[in-house]
Amino acid sequence: MAWFSFHFSDFAFSFLSILFEGVPFLLLGSLISGTVEVFLPPATLARLLPRNPTAAVLLSGLMGGVFPMCECGAVVVIRRFLSKGLPPACAVTYMLAAPIVSPLVAISTFAAFRAQNPWVMTSLRLIFGYMIAVAAGLLVQRLPVSFVLQPGVLPQAPAPERTGLRFAAAVDETGGTGNGIGSRLLGVVRAATSDFLDVALFFVIGATVAATFNTAVDQAVVQPMAGNSVLAILIMMGLAGAMALCSSTDAFIAASFTAFPFAAKLAFLVFGPVFDAKLYFLYGLVYRRKFIVLLAVGLFVAIALMCLRISVLAL
Amino acid sequence: MTQLLNRWFPSLTLACWSGILLYFSISGRLAAFLLPAFRPGVTIAGAILLVFAAGMAFAGPAPACCADNACEHPAVRPIGGRLLAFAALLLPLLLAVECPRAGFGVTVLQNRGVATDTAGISAKARPPAQAATPAQTPTTAGESTPDQFIPKTASGAIAVSVIDLLYAAQDPTLRVDFDGKTVEVIGQLMAQKLAGPKNNRAKVVRMFMTCCAADARPIAALVELPDAKAPIPELSWVRITGKPAFPFEGGRTIAVLKADSIAVTEPPEETMLY
Repeated sequence: MAWFSFHFSDFAFSFLSILFEGVPFLLLGSLISGTVEVFLPPATLARLLPRNPTAAVLLSGLMGGVFPMCECGAVVVIRRFLSKGLPPACAVTYMLAAPIVSPLVAISTFAAFRAQNPWVMTSLRLIFGYMIAVAAGLLVQRLPVSFVLQPGVLPQAPAPERTGLRFAAAVDETGGTGNGIGSRLLGVVRAATSDFLDVALFFVIGATVAATFNTAVDQAVVQPMAGNSVLAILIMMGLAGAMALCSSTDAFIAASFTAFPFAAKLAFLVFGPVFDAKLYFLYGLVYRRKFIVLLAVGLFVAIALMCLRISVLAL
Repeated sequence: MTQLLNRWFPSLTLACWSGILLYFSISGRLAAFLLPAFRPGVTIAGAILLVFAAGMAFAGPAPACCADNACEHPAVRPIGGRLLAFAALLLPLLLAVECPRAGFGVTVLQNRGVATDTAGISAKARPPAQAATPAQTPTTAGESTPDQFIPKTASGAIAVSVIDLLYAAQDPTLRVDFDGKTVEVIGQLMAQKLAGPKNNRAKVVRMFMTCCAADARPIAALVELPDAKAPIPELSWVRITGKPAFPFEGGRTIAVLKADSIAVTEPPEETMLY
């Protein structure tokens, strides 16, 4: 059988299921983003974070514990936070950590692996997720903002370059309508609508890639590599990137790859929520392409090395 | 043109997305795509998007920015790019029209690999262990027996799912409920490649989803077809009545349903198992 065979009806079925699963979370992120835009003054955000930049990054990695968000929603939220003055290092840290370091993900991982070292898998997933996010944040601190962020993401950034859909541009703090509660709610709707449509475009592109892989590629081609720990880790990370699963439920999929070793499943669970096909396009809304590629390579190498280290423990 | 791009196209796009979400929710077709826990979110999202669409149509985008011809917002795309973006956003509408009601075709089943054991099923799908069986717990008159709680069809056959048979193959305590008794199972018949000692074994397949149809994996029990089987199109939904057996083959115990009858039937309300 050919390794690639595309059927439009299967693609449509898979695409719509990803759409139905993801849209409520995208919308939730957009609503939070709209609320932040209208009701959170920039000064408040600055007051909430420690003055020490390293401490701020360390704290941002834990924010998913009290403010959980899946990977799609996190992109929308941090874009708005950035425009409110959140340092890019903190934004990257929160964006990478929130889809993993959250109570929802801990519970779903524990449930999915309840017959396969659940405490170890859940703990390592959260610890690795936190470490990776903080490391990325600390690295971003040393990079120039113009290398990291798309022009126009920060209010003060000079930005003639065009990106995203942006048919309804960012609104001012009152939605451009006034200070009454009705006007402010209208401002929330306007900002949320703008964010939703901007992100939806990239979500559609990412879902197209994921649905094509999920339906057209013969997944038996990766099975023979499960016996080699290095290849198994790399394959599972590649699968996580291509399948673009939601971090709240991906543990159930990972647990079903019984032929693959523990470390490979861990790599799947840590890499998938921080980088996958749809996220590549979603990240493009906020970050420059060069930075996204650097981030992807860095995350891939770091997670692979960490999980290779774990593989010698033969869990 | 600016009004069209900033007000009416976004409104139309949001209305389309809302329509898709609400149509699939209200018509019940959403059941084929998502776990029950995720379905209310789709309905709510559809309703909110409808509000967004109305808000965009009646109130428009932020005044003094992109809604008038004086907009100089730095990140606004050129008209061609924005039209292309809207076309991409309307892709779900095209796919919703083209989406099959019957689920995935045979290529996806083959690409994902049909599992005939419980390895591809997450632990959350495991049937609850039987608290007691008639052989283990003596009953007195008037007491209920576990047998009474096993669902049966109108003809008296035990209604089982593919998952029940696969777990029974691995767990002797579950097996006693079915072994040697007449059972009925509904699934899709894969009879393209017959196998087994008599070359009469097909598969009865169900898709098992963890979260949504995109992650669904096919699981199957083996079926020994009756001799006088009329040809049934591949992946037709069938109702199979027969007696399960659990032979030890290839180093493991497997579930084989020796079919007495096979009839083409309508797909069940929930086409996916979870």
